[in-house]
Amino acid sequence: MPSITKIHSFDEVFDSQRLFRRILTAMSNPGRSVSIKEFAGKLWGENPAMLAFAITLLDNEVGYCVLEDADLSEEIAFLTLSRKENAERADYIFITESALLEDAIKKAKRGTPQDPHKSATLIIKVSDSGAYELRLKGPGIKGAVSLMVPRIVREAIEMRDAENYEYPQGVDFVFVSDAGELLSVPRLIVREAY
Amino acid sequence: MNKNYNFAFIDEGSKREIRRTILKAVAIPGYQVPFGSRELPIGRGWGTGGIQITLSLIGPDDVLKVIDQGSDESVNAVNIKKFVGLCTDVRTTVKTSEATIIQTRHRIPETPLRNDQILVLQVPIPEPLRIVEASEEKTKKMHAEKDYAPMWLLLYESLIKYGKITLGTEYPLMVEGRYIMNPSPIPKFDNPKLNDSECLYLFGAGREKKIYAIPPHTLAESLAFEDVPFEKESFKGKRCRLCGSEDTYLDEMFDSSTGEKMYQCSDTSYCQEVRGCI
Repeated sequence: MPSITKIHSFDEVFDSQRLFRRILTAMSNPGRSVSIKEFAGKLWGENPAMLAFAITLLDNEVGYCVLEDADLSEEIAFLTLSRKENAERADYIFITESALLEDAIKKAKRGTPQDPHKSATLIIKVSDSGAYELRLKGPGIKGAVSLMVPRIVREAIEMRDAENYEYPQGVDFVFVSDAGELLSVPRLIVREAY
Repeated sequence: MNKNYNFAFIDEGSKREIRRTILKAVAIPGYQVPFGSRELPIGRGWGTGGIQITLSLIGPDDVLKVIDQGSDESVNAVNIKKFVGLCTDVRTTVKTSEATIIQTRHRIPETPLRNDQILVLQVPIPEPLRIVEASEEKTKKMHAEKDYAPMWLLLYESLIKYGKITLGTEYPLMVEGRYIMNPSPIPKFDNPKLNDSECLYLFGAGREKKIYAIPPHTLAESLAFEDVPFEKESFKGKRCRLCGSEDTYLDEMFDSSTGEKMYQCSDTSYCQEVRGCI
């Protein structure tokens, strides 16, 4: 008889809980990166950290979009049963190519003044290590925080600022690196004057 | 642990929705994010919003503290602790500094909280504008337009009529200069603890199906006028009859036979810690 093995070893109850707490720590303390390496290690493929994020938060109640990465899109559908949507309607947009970022930010849902929560979260893959200094401030940060970030983080914030969202409308960023680090930049976090 | 239920009672799909809601609430501080409040073996309005948040956060490594009006031993606190214990087996504590998650109703502990702690507040009426506008549709629009004139008028009228703002609990705050928020029925004494705090505050209203948050180091200012600053309760000249503290929120007690008034810390575990009992 052929033996059946599970494609991943991510525990949907306990690993989800622990990873959610890491994401919550990152979201409520922007600029602080948290390690999600041990969770990414339990999944498979080219983007295990993104899959770990997806399995923790996505299901058939929400829609997602992966720009030009059919493999990742299929993996997320397979793992979470979440709805595939276009970028304009997706609650979660996964971006693996930096060249696609600008388009994604332009299309992403920003919510409405009455329902700002109906906005997109962008999960962006970061491949290189930090080479640019960024000084951020906003809720969750005591005063201001300086950190070294890869270029794409700085670019994402610049592109977001170019959209001139009227708060509370906006989009929230989650950056995940190949090394398994997760950094969050919610909509109210801005660059300190430079 | 009762094995007939999922870990932490709620099913994983519901936890995911509550977790998504919590993250949105953190991203938009003070904004009430709607969520599909679940049925629990407790009536709505008895802390189900807080319980659903706690159950969605909690894991085997957590240490839980639950307080009700400052006390670890009152009915609501004891039963919530028992319920969460039954479906998770997590360790509970009365010491504020030992807890990773603190669920509370009507008080914020006296012991300053740390960045690695989460305070979960049970909220009966999340809408701060409800006292000036009965319609949910209209209050939602007022928040969208930042139309807070009726709220300011209420405070102003109170000032004109009584010489001071008479709101005792649920004293509204302005979060990050954008949203007026109801801090739940905590005394005004606790309002300043919400501003620029170290810990994350999560607010859950089960009956009203709303979750909102104040992340650490977020501006949360109690509403006040330029020439009439915010004032919290003063216990000047009074002290706790047990531990002698002069800087805590005090409950007043009355001995009907002697007519004597006594004061005692409302935060019982803090009081015990000061006395070295725990």
